[in-house]
Amino acid sequence: MSTTAPTFESTRAGAAPGTSPTGDAGAGVLPVLAVDLVTAPPLLDGLAPLARGLEEAGIGALTLSDGGLHPIHVAAHLAPLTRGLGLLPRTDAVYVEPFHLATQLMSLDHISHGRAGWLLQAETDPSAAAAVGRDLLGLEATAREAADVLVAARRVWDSWAPDAVVRDTERGVYVDASRLQYADVEAETFSVRGPAITPRSPQGLLPVLVADTDRGAVGERASTELVDGRVLDLDVSGGARAEQLAARIASARDEGATGSASTVVRLVRLVGLDLEADPLGTARELAAELRARDLVSGTSAPGRTLRELLGLPEAPFDLDPARRADRARLTREESA
Amino acid sequence: MTTAQFPTLAESGLSPEAAELVTGPDEHPIHPEHTPTGQLAFGVFFQGVNSSTIWRLPSSGDQVAWESFETLIRTAERGKFAAFFLGEGLRLREHRGVPFELDVAGRPDAQTLLAALAAVTKDIGLVATQNTTYNDPVDLARRLQTLDLLSAGRAGWNIVTTDNAWTGENFRRGGYLDHADRYTHAEAFVQVAEQYWRGEQVAHDGAHYSVRAQGDLPRSAQGRPVLFQAGASPAGQDFAARTADVIFSPHGSLAAAVEFRRSIVERTVAAGRDPGSVKILPGAEIVLAPTEAEAEEKIRWVRDLQIGPEQAIALLEQYWGRDLSEFDPEGPLPDVPPEVVESGVTRGSGFQFAKAEELTRQWREEAAQKGQSILEFARAKSGSRRGAFTGSYDAVADRLVEFARLGAIDGLNITPWLIPSGLDDIVDHLIPRLQERGVYPTEYAGSTLRENLGLPPV
Ligand SMILES: Cc1cc2nc3c(=O)[nH]c(=O)nc-3n(C[C@H](O)[C@H](O)[C@H](O)COP(=O)(O)O)c2cc1C
Repeated sequence: MSTTAPTFESTRAGAAPGTSPTGDAGAGVLPVLAVDLVTAPPLLDGLAPLARGLEEAGIGALTLSDGGLHPIHVAAHLAPLTRGLGLLPRTDAVYVEPFHLATQLMSLDHISHGRAGWLLQAETDPSAAAAVGRDLLGLEATAREAADVLVAARRVWDSWAPDAVVRDTERGVYVDASRLQYADVEAETFSVRGPAITPRSPQGLLPVLVADTDRGAVGERASTELVDGRVLDLDVSGGARAEQLAARIASARDEGATGSASTVVRLVRLVGLDLEADPLGTARELAAELRARDLVSGTSAPGRTLRELLGLPEAPFDLDPARRADRARLTREESA
Repeated sequence: MTTAQFPTLAESGLSPEAAELVTGPDEHPIHPEHTPTGQLAFGVFFQGVNSSTIWRLPSSGDQVAWESFETLIRTAERGKFAAFFLGEGLRLREHRGVPFELDVAGRPDAQTLLAALAAVTKDIGLVATQNTTYNDPVDLARRLQTLDLLSAGRAGWNIVTTDNAWTGENFRRGGYLDHADRYTHAEAFVQVAEQYWRGEQVAHDGAHYSVRAQGDLPRSAQGRPVLFQAGASPAGQDFAARTADVIFSPHGSLAAAVEFRRSIVERTVAAGRDPGSVKILPGAEIVLAPTEAEAEEKIRWVRDLQIGPEQAIALLEQYWGRDLSEFDPEGPLPDVPPEVVESGVTRGSGFQFAKAEELTRQWREEAAQKGQSILEFARAKSGSRRGAFTGSYDAVADRLVEFARLGAIDGLNITPWLIPSGLDDIVDHLIPRLQERGVYPTEYAGSTLRENLGLPPV
């Protein structure tokens, strides 16, 4: 498919194709190449052919940035229209109801058969606070809250065991409460009891990433300790030259090789792709060139989860005895 | 579309039950201000959480799998259904402090799912049940408008007002709202949403919050999402008469439906609106078979599968407030006093209060009189709560024609008792008969939900 032969030696000579040389925490594969779509209403004209075309052009994921239409809805709409693309809405963690946000994202994961992820963002625009009747938080409080909401969302996602729906016709039991756990989140500015109103989604824990441009607002804790990896943003609004982009990816990859798991570049995001011009042609060309240089992974494959595409291990499920959802019954049985 | 020339009501041979309800000429058979359209629209109500969905059969499909929803909505669209509804409950139902294990539980977020279903359907409306107490109005309005734009004018919002503090434990505000204030709150909430949809500046300072926003999305093909309301109290009916396009009512007999229509017409006129601008779609189950006898047998089979012995005991435990597992489901109702003052119905949207002492005594007497076991009593109670159109294909079609001609209802919101095949016999056998009788569309009237419900433009 690639018509352009690599123009310079792979900087990773010796590494097996499709694997990263870093070999550190969880980094087993090349980053996924994503295109960012801004959800302005005109995007709706020709959205389906655009998404399918990008998928065929070798793009591995789409990120949806807020341009008016709700990014989670647009991502959900794209799920049945695409086959293997990762779908990552970029959406605020702060001026939202954490329980709703968690439910919406895990629902996106069900609908897309495990292709959902979250580009966590922290709003610093006063209008976002005013829209929900809250005061704008200071920078530190914003960062604390973004981290708290991320932790809460994971608690909600993780509140049903994968095998909680038992459909036991003998006992007449549909869902086994001993395989559910409360979220029991008591954060500084909110609390969430749980469990989820949605069964565990295919990935269990959705990959959570923070775009480079959002790291400042999201803060240190969420964007370094809590996330599943790094996003490298490449602005292609002024045109894109594959050599320059390749150099940026290579250097970000080398930085990631020495840091923690969260510094491993999982997603390379093309931002500002001109949708009026020839977006599919540009995407196809860049995808081919970057793949030929072994800098991004191959085409997304239907049937694989986003965690798999990003090289993240399967999310484990652990039942926390203190949060068991059947604790009231256990207490009754003990006292009886 | 058929706007058939009807025979007069007398000529069409109304049943005695229906004839008795007629109080005026054919143009206004049940209320002087209400003209029946003679047409029915169907919705499918995917509840996802309750005892009406049978999960025990080999044909019981996955309750969260995309494929289940896609199959069901495609069948509904084949049957020219006007709308696909999703229910909502913002806390997992509990029984005696533990997530309720015996019914189907857990469903995807309504709007997220509908945004995806919009991509695989063309005509059917997409209605999300969304609560006013635990949402932010600007956020909800923006989501609904996004859904309306993604679906080219097919979005609807079923406005519900569940307000208990137990649900509030999942949200920032907790149990901040008094039950008595649920509708004043909802009304302010809907006003904010409507301003936002009109692209106006929102500056709301109310009892519960102050919000500022600017509506900045384009108008959808139907102007704004269609507003449904589900809530049957007098306050709920008044709210609907002032605000809603469609009322999602509990199902009753023809007489109850006529009475409900009259009540809504009065309230709609009092609110200064044209009574034809508020449609009524009761929720209903439909159990069909080729013959009446087979249908009788089938509804018993359905009820048996919906309410097993464990569920029957659990139903009583909600009112007794204590463990009743030592009682035989085949035996009489427990002859022990309740341990609570007020019943705590398995929590969810059906939460209600009743004086336990009085209610349990009444129930014991009722069951003894009818000679019912715990199991029979529970099945009868939950069955009557739901209501059903049961019978042969022709008999059910004929009954629905009477509902349509009197103008008692504008359609039904049908809860399938099996997912995803539960609409098959309705679409294959009932709808063709309704079409032959001229009360059901043979084609979609238009491309928006408003048009397909026969609502006037915004
Ligand atoms: C047919 C019907 C369906 C309903 N479905 C839901 C639902 O899915 N979720 C929910 O929270 N409430 C649901 N409700 C209840 C509403 O929350 C309503 O606001 C509540 O009954 C309180 O209003 P009321 O006192 O006027 O009845 C439903 C009510 C009716 C009548």
